[in-house]
Formats: sequence, C-alpha cells, structure tokens
Amino acid sequence: MSNSILEGALIVESPAATTVMSMQQALNRALDEVLAENPKTLIFGEDCGRLGGVFRITDGLQAKHGEQRVFDTPLAESGILGMSVGLAMAGFHPIPEVQFDGFAYPAINQIVCQIARMNYRSRGTLPMPITLRVPSFGGIRAPEHHGESLEALFAHVPGLKVVSPSNPHEAYHLLKYAATRPDPVIFMEPKSRYWQKGEVDLARHDAAGGSPTGAKVMREGRHLTLVAWGAMVARCLQVAELAAEDGIDIEVLDLRWLKPIDAAALAASVRKTRRAVVVHEAPLTSGLGAEVAQLITQSCFDTLRAPVERVTGFDVPYPSGDLEDEYIPNIDRILFGIQRVLEYKRG
Amino acid sequence: MAEISFPLPDLGEGLIEATVLEWLVAPGDQVERNQPLVEVETTKSAVELPSPQAGKVVRIHGGPGDKINVGEPLIVFEVPDNTAGIVGTVPKEEAPKRRVRLSAVLDED
Repeated sequence: MSNSILEGALIVESPAATTVMSMQQALNRALDEVLAENPKTLIFGEDCGRLGGVFRITDGLQAKHGEQRVFDTPLAESGILGMSVGLAMAGFHPIPEVQFDGFAYPAINQIVCQIARMNYRSRGTLPMPITLRVPSFGGIRAPEHHGESLEALFAHVPGLKVVSPSNPHEAYHLLKYAATRPDPVIFMEPKSRYWQKGEVDLARHDAAGGSPTGAKVMREGRHLTLVAWGAMVARCLQVAELAAEDGIDIEVLDLRWLKPIDAAALAASVRKTRRAVVVHEAPLTSGLGAEVAQLITQSCFDTLRAPVERVTGFDVPYPSGDLEDEYIPNIDRILFGIQRVLEYKRG
Repeated sequence: MAEISFPLPDLGEGLIEATVLEWLVAPGDQVERNQPLVEVETTKSAVELPSPQAGKVVRIHGGPGDKINVGEPLIVFEVPDNTAGIVGTVPKEEAPKRRVRLSAVLDED
C-alpha cells in the first residue's frame, strides 16, 4: 500500500520480536515449551536424556523436566517406536528420536504396521499423536547410515505425515505444530543445517493468510520455480542469487510438508513462472521429485514451457563422507538443471 | 566449551604401549579431523596418528622418548558445547562457488 493518503489509517504491525538462534537452539526451545505446555509429552531415545542428544537437541531437558519425562533408551529403534505405540495408546504424546536416518530401518515395522495404521485399525479410537524426530539427510561427513533421505519411503505410507524444516524459524514453529497433531508426524531435521543461525520470530510462524501445513515461498521470482525442502532450500536460495547475476529471476518454494504436499502452492507458483526444477538429496528413481513433477504437470500442463527437471542424488547407496559433495546436488548441478529448462524448445 | 580426551588406541594386535617420537601439534593449535597429531613407535613400526576429530588442543601427554600405555590419555581437545559428542563434522559456511553460467532468451508474454 503505497497510497500516502491511506498510510495514516493502516494498522502497522509492530516490528517482529525476532531472536537469532541456531536450529539446534530453536528445536531445543520448542521441545522445552512443548514439555511445559503438555504434561502428556514424553521425550526419549538413544542419548536423549543425560547426554542431551548427539546433536544437543534435548540438552538440559532431563535436568529441567525430570527423568520420568525425558529419558534414555537402549540402542534398539524397534523398541523405541514400539514403546511409543503403547504410550500413545495409554494417552501419552511421545516425541521419540531415532538418532540418525539410517537407523529408522530397524523400526520400519513399528512405524508402518503399527503407528501409521492404529487410528484406522481402531476406527479412530486409538489415535497415535507421535512426533518422530529423525536427524536426516547428508552433509556432515558421517559414516554409513548417517546421511540418508527417507522422505519418499515415509510419504508412501498412508497414515503418516512428513515434514522437514529448512531454517531455525521453521524448525521452531513446525516442531511445535507437529507436537500438537493427533496423527503421527515424521519430523525430518536437516542435520547439516543444525548449526547455522537465523532469525526466529517466536510469536508468529507465517505472514497473515499462511497455513502451517502449506508450502512457503522463500524468495519470489518470475522466470522459474525451484522446489526444495530441508537442507536444499538454503542451497537453492544461493542458486537464486547467482542466477540473478545472469538476469534469471528465480522463485524458491520451500515445500515444508512432504506428506501431504501443498499442490495448490506448487500450482500457484509455476502458473506464474511456467518453469520448474525440483531439487532433493535422495536418489532420483521414485524420489519425491517425481511426485512434485507430476503435481505440477497436472495443474500447469498448458502453461509449462518445458518438462519439469529433477536435480537429485544418484541411484546409489549414500556414499562415504569423502564423496558426498559429488552426490548431493551442488550449485553447478542445479544451475545445469535450470539451464536445461531455460533452453528447452518445443517440437 | 567441553573437553574431550583421546586415549592411545591399540595400534596393532594386542600392543600394550607406544613411545612418543615427535608431537606434530602443540597446545593451543586448532586441528582438523584426520590431521596428523603425533608420531609414535611401537614394537612393530613407527606411525603417525591422525586426529579423530576437529578441535583445539588443550593438553598433550608425554614428550619424545616417553612411553604411553594403550588406553591412557594421549591428547585432550576443547570443542564448543554444541558440537560435543557429534558424529561427523560441522559443515563450514562457505561463499557459494559456481562455474556454470545461465543464458536464455526469455519471452515475456
């Protein structure tokens, strides 16, 4: 509203009370508040109690809230998630942690066959208000099973919701929101972004009209939409700045929720830009990029200037740390994907 | 800040001690993961020990010629509280690098 006559009448929002913190601190604060607000909340997992988690996400929570509510478990993921089922049946709101993505596999039976289905199986009498925190994706030079991207696996299971925050502000608000849901949520924390600081507005998640279950435009642009989630959002924002040097105006859409996907946000963005590239760390084949590409094609088929491109990891097991820079989509691979879309000619 | 102690590992099969030949780092040094820390000699060979982690060196144990038993403290690191106990390495924030340039004739209809 640039009309000077109206300016005096506008209700100007007070400046946002933002705090600068890392994603570690944002998640820790969110968990602290959830424990304080909901006496049914329990937090547990390997090293979550006394140590405070290998990434310090639960640091200090046991000392503050007690060993009955924040505690260590044996090194047995099937037990951690099996126990979560029983606790949820008994009326608790568990927030278990699987220490690393690759260790969710031993608990797949509990997640897929119990947690995802119990509400359906019991005709809604046994909801599973479980928020499973999974430090996810690569980028920290860790050994095998510490850099994997399981979003497509979880998104394929009816009954689960899947979300991944891209920065400290999203981490704080999405975790607090997930912890209040009556359904199981897989909360994928991008571990390579744990330490980067960012501004967090503790009072408000999104601008007016935004939905905590929707995608979020992180940068507006006219020529092409980059779709990403988790750690790849920050990289796509870097790519957008570089593309601007070449006169290409890129919109970056943070999908946030990977199940269900905000199809309306994809449609709105790509109807405007008419070109799209989806970026993820997970392998290409049957990755979530295929789902995103289909949703865009479905809604924007007649306005698309080129097929939706995917820039992803490769169809190989996640490599050792020395090779992960070759595996994870880097700036040049994303720029190549953008160039392929820009130079596409019909017919 | 947290301190993490790294004990002398068993460098062979059943070795019980090693002799310090030369320290390659000193207290106060910032070291990277896999950076050579010290050259030691066992009854089998002389080897350089790579650092198990990044951090600032707080203390080193034993000077040239001193024997250290397997399992006894060799070196103590100081690491920020938020990285203590982590598996892997905290990624560095680097300025974005590119080689690919974009070129396009965009129709603005």
